[in-house]
Amino acid sequence: MVLGVQEEESKSTIYVPDIAKIRRIKQISPTEKVFRIILDDEEKQNNFKFKPGQFVELTIFGLGEAPFSIASNPNNHEFFELCIRNVGSVSGALHRMEEDAKVGIRGPFGNGYFPYDKMKNHNVLLVAGGLGLAPLMSLIKYILHYREDYKEIMIVYGAVNPESILFKDDIQYWSNRKDILTCISVDNPDDKWTGEIGVCTKLIPRVNFPPEDTYAVVCGPPVMYKYVVYELEKKKFKPENIYLSLERRMECGVGKCNHCHIGNKLACVDGPVFSLWEINNLKEAI
Amino acid sequence: MLYKVLAKGAYRDFVKALISEYEFIGPKKKDRSVHDFVLIKDISELDTNYIRTTIPAAKKILFPPNERLVTYEIGKKIEVKPVIESGEKILFGINAWDINGMNFLDRFFTTDFIDENYISKRKKLIVIGMDSEPTETNFSLSIGAEYAKDGFDIYLTELKDKYFVRIATARGNEILEKYTKVNDAIAEDFKEYNKYMDNYRMKFKMNVDIKSFYDDFELIYGNQEFWKRVAKNCYSCGSCNLVCPTCFCFNVRDDIELNLKDGNKTREWDSCMIPEYGLVAGGHNFRPDKENRLKQRYRCRLKTFLDKFGKYACVGCGRCIEVCLAKINIAEDINSVKKEVSV
Repeated sequence: MVLGVQEEESKSTIYVPDIAKIRRIKQISPTEKVFRIILDDEEKQNNFKFKPGQFVELTIFGLGEAPFSIASNPNNHEFFELCIRNVGSVSGALHRMEEDAKVGIRGPFGNGYFPYDKMKNHNVLLVAGGLGLAPLMSLIKYILHYREDYKEIMIVYGAVNPESILFKDDIQYWSNRKDILTCISVDNPDDKWTGEIGVCTKLIPRVNFPPEDTYAVVCGPPVMYKYVVYELEKKKFKPENIYLSLERRMECGVGKCNHCHIGNKLACVDGPVFSLWEINNLKEAI
Repeated sequence: MLYKVLAKGAYRDFVKALISEYEFIGPKKKDRSVHDFVLIKDISELDTNYIRTTIPAAKKILFPPNERLVTYEIGKKIEVKPVIESGEKILFGINAWDINGMNFLDRFFTTDFIDENYISKRKKLIVIGMDSEPTETNFSLSIGAEYAKDGFDIYLTELKDKYFVRIATARGNEILEKYTKVNDAIAEDFKEYNKYMDNYRMKFKMNVDIKSFYDDFELIYGNQEFWKRVAKNCYSCGSCNLVCPTCFCFNVRDDIELNLKDGNKTREWDSCMIPEYGLVAGGHNFRPDKENRLKQRYRCRLKTFLDKFGKYACVGCGRCIEVCLAKINIAEDINSVKKEVSV
């Protein structure tokens, strides 16, 4: 098998990142910034096509590499955006960087993405907790781009407190649209908060989409999944119509380092998005 | 497969020729009980009568503990280059289960994405296999890895006054034609070879009943009592991973030289048994308990790749049993799963 492979000196390997530039940095909460990124090689940037739910591996040269979900509209080929919390060594260093700085990009990766095609002609319920809104942004923007292809859309988003709410401009825009139902809840309100209070799970009982005609998509911190799934199952959502994006440690993104294994699957090549049906068969996934 | 025989008298000159013509890696005695595969410069250093090696030879060569993957130069522009090392080498005297371990890695590093760093070295590695005596902890026979049917160029089996030679590649055939003389194997040779193999298989004393493990594992998966008992003494040291011919987990590190200009990405072996393995930024650990880590290791070795490749990611070499400080024994644990479920 291997020995018969034709000799060919390769110019690149799966571990070689492409050089990219941070075009714009926008602080959107006390701990999160959105980085707009453009690959230096124009042709590569034009061909950088991703599906909602996919991720990239970002290298800070001399420091390290980490995986980040893409948070921008998949229809935009001029750039892509990553929403990153200042929490680890790579993300921390990224937060100290300035516009025009160079980074390395590998990807997009992930064969398990949000099933935007299957969702067509159905209702879509999007549930996000905290930074989990970031991976969902690419799907939300995709759906809004092709709004007429989908039935009812509801976005349920929970944040710790009002100042930690991400993508406030987008949320404002969604709230102004009549064709999307947007529900935002915070755990710790301040004096000015007039919206919902509590974890986002509490809002799910209010969803009145017929479960057989609805896809639910969930993304949030690991602790959130069990509770959201419990509420969705109470609503009689089918496991094969519920999709979750799973976070795991990743060192390679290409199915080699094995850190992201969940049962016999790998989050990087088989996921990071899995249906609840798959997750129920993986054990320990959520 | 071509079947030939090599006269015993011609063996020494054949090996000597290979040592002088190639970078030649073979077993050398390290101390009373352990051999190591090292660069051999003279035939006197070579000792193919080995029983025990700690680090699997093929893995050491093809997937070294530390390996530079990418170098870069940070200036006005950033120049990034892959590092691909691929000098031709002979790996001599590797046994069947370690060849099967290498075959697993070959498959693994070429699935989904091709790992050039591994495969460029593999393509240039000439593999000449030979049987070695199994240790008491070796259960290759139960796994079906005591015999290699591919992955080598040449496989030499020592019979009474000749070597039975199996040739799997044109490259192997070329080497034999160039450096020695072999004759076609005849019916008598096959007969002697079969008899040898029957006897050889009798030497494997450790047996595991793995047939029903695939299903039984799922039943016992949620039995925390069982797994707590199995992993009770585990130090989470990762020795089992280091000596495993099929373990492939790694971390990738970015380093920068003191000149603050030249940097590189290096991969280094990691271990699924150490607590930090499942730790992500922000402090969440997806596998904080040692019993869960051990359980996942067993799944990875004995189930996951049955689904993916139809093969175990375990060749039954028994190294992990020998090096475990806590005396955790994968062979006994496979049998315990069976017993626990059958009771």
